[in-house]
Amino acid sequence: MRFEDVWFRYARRADWTLSAVDVAIRPGETVVVLGRNGAGKSTLLQLAAGVLSSVRGRVTDRPDVVGWVPERFPADQPFTAEQYLRRMADIRGGSGVDEWFERLKFAEHRHTRLADLSKGTAQKVGVVQALLLRPGLLVLDEPWEGLDAVARELIPDIVAEVTAAGGAVLVSDHRGEIARLPEAIRWTVADNTVRPGDPEPDDGATDGATGGGSGGGSGGGEVIIEIAARRSDADRTMAELRDSGHRVLGVRTEHQR
Amino acid sequence: MTALVRMRLIAFAGSGRVVAPAILSLAVLGVLYGGGSSLAAPVYGYSATIFFPVLAWLVKLLLDTEPDVQRRLARIAVGPRRESLAGLLAATLAGLLLCAFAMAAPLLVGAIRGPEPGTTEPPLLTGILLGALAHLLALAAALALGALSSRVVAGTLSKGLMILVGGAILVIILGLSRSIAPWLVPPVMATARALNADTLPDAARVALLTAWTAAWCLITLTAYARLRTRRA
Repeated sequence: MRFEDVWFRYARRADWTLSAVDVAIRPGETVVVLGRNGAGKSTLLQLAAGVLSSVRGRVTDRPDVVGWVPERFPADQPFTAEQYLRRMADIRGGSGVDEWFERLKFAEHRHTRLADLSKGTAQKVGVVQALLLRPGLLVLDEPWEGLDAVARELIPDIVAEVTAAGGAVLVSDHRGEIARLPEAIRWTVADNTVRPGDPEPDDGATDGATGGGSGGGSGGGEVIIEIAARRSDADRTMAELRDSGHRVLGVRTEHQR
Repeated sequence: MTALVRMRLIAFAGSGRVVAPAILSLAVLGVLYGGGSSLAAPVYGYSATIFFPVLAWLVKLLLDTEPDVQRRLARIAVGPRRESLAGLLAATLAGLLLCAFAMAAPLLVGAIRGPEPGTTEPPLLTGILLGALAHLLALAAALALGALSSRVVAGTLSKGLMILVGGAILVIILGLSRSIAPWLVPPVMATARALNADTLPDAARVALLTAWTAAWCLITLTAYARLRTRRA
């Protein structure tokens, strides 16, 4: 799929959100889109998915089956998780709802109404609806947001399955979870356009971090190291890490792994 | 696409948004059929006119039920054209149901009488058929107006309401018998007048009203479809 000199703005008199975007993603590739909040990552992803259409230029060779996981799942609908997914499967002609409930470990929420789901569980519903048909293009907008440890670990597997089947995957990430996708190509959204590669240090280096593997060669290169600490030591550990010049990106408790 | 139509109808019924137009319809029926009985054609002529804004509101409510992001998910699932068509189809089905209800009510409460023997009054069936046509024409016009006022096209709730209410008022004002530009709006009022006249409309008049509505809806719904290619 190719962006050919794509320009986009949300209203006729608004500033361009994205301009002169000229990038391509091939089948089997994974692209991680980096950039600050509000840089236009979501816009780029929605243009790729076909939710938005470009104002100038065009997006060509979009696969027939596109799966889009929106940043926020629209939970304001009068269905239970299972009813919703079965209806979406009917609409798409897809299947496998039951297996996905098991795989993402939320079968106990089958009969919970969407509006009553926690943010993370609603996000799982959002992930599953995009995978009911094997997508030729999977677009994941901040897929790690709110997900529990089990599901976070699964995202790379899902990405690998889609690419192994010849699909392309476009992921946005501002939390530095990119370390989970070491093979991915990076695009950076900054200054209203998109270019291949990591953000430059002045780009604000994304909110989280720019991922691993670059060996620190580009000056701003960082790697994400996940550590586990005893609950009682958590405060002290964070303070020590900060003192030694590291950035603490997040703290979470994990009940199961 | 039928799966999407079904999902939207169920969401509309399940979300409770259907309650407000249902209550309004009951109130309208109560006012219309509080007492007395008349011939079918004039009764249904009034009914179609009064239900026109209710139908337009129903269409807007149905199209606005789905959250924006869900509409975009549907768009990706079935493609932009079928997504917007599915919305119009779901609205049409809901509108047909309301029309059937609006037409059955006066028959059930005895507000419609047959022709007096020995007079030249038209037979009951003719009046019912003309009434059904009047409701269908009102529904078609309401579908077009409701679609243009939907959130995805209008952008904000206030703009959408302005289009809906403004449109309905224009249909009435420009539809008055001494209107300077009756052709600008669908013939909802003209249809009601035709059904209230001393002699029922002939085939040519019926064909004209139908063609007029069809032309107006074609233009409006084409505009809707064009706006929808950009607005998801």
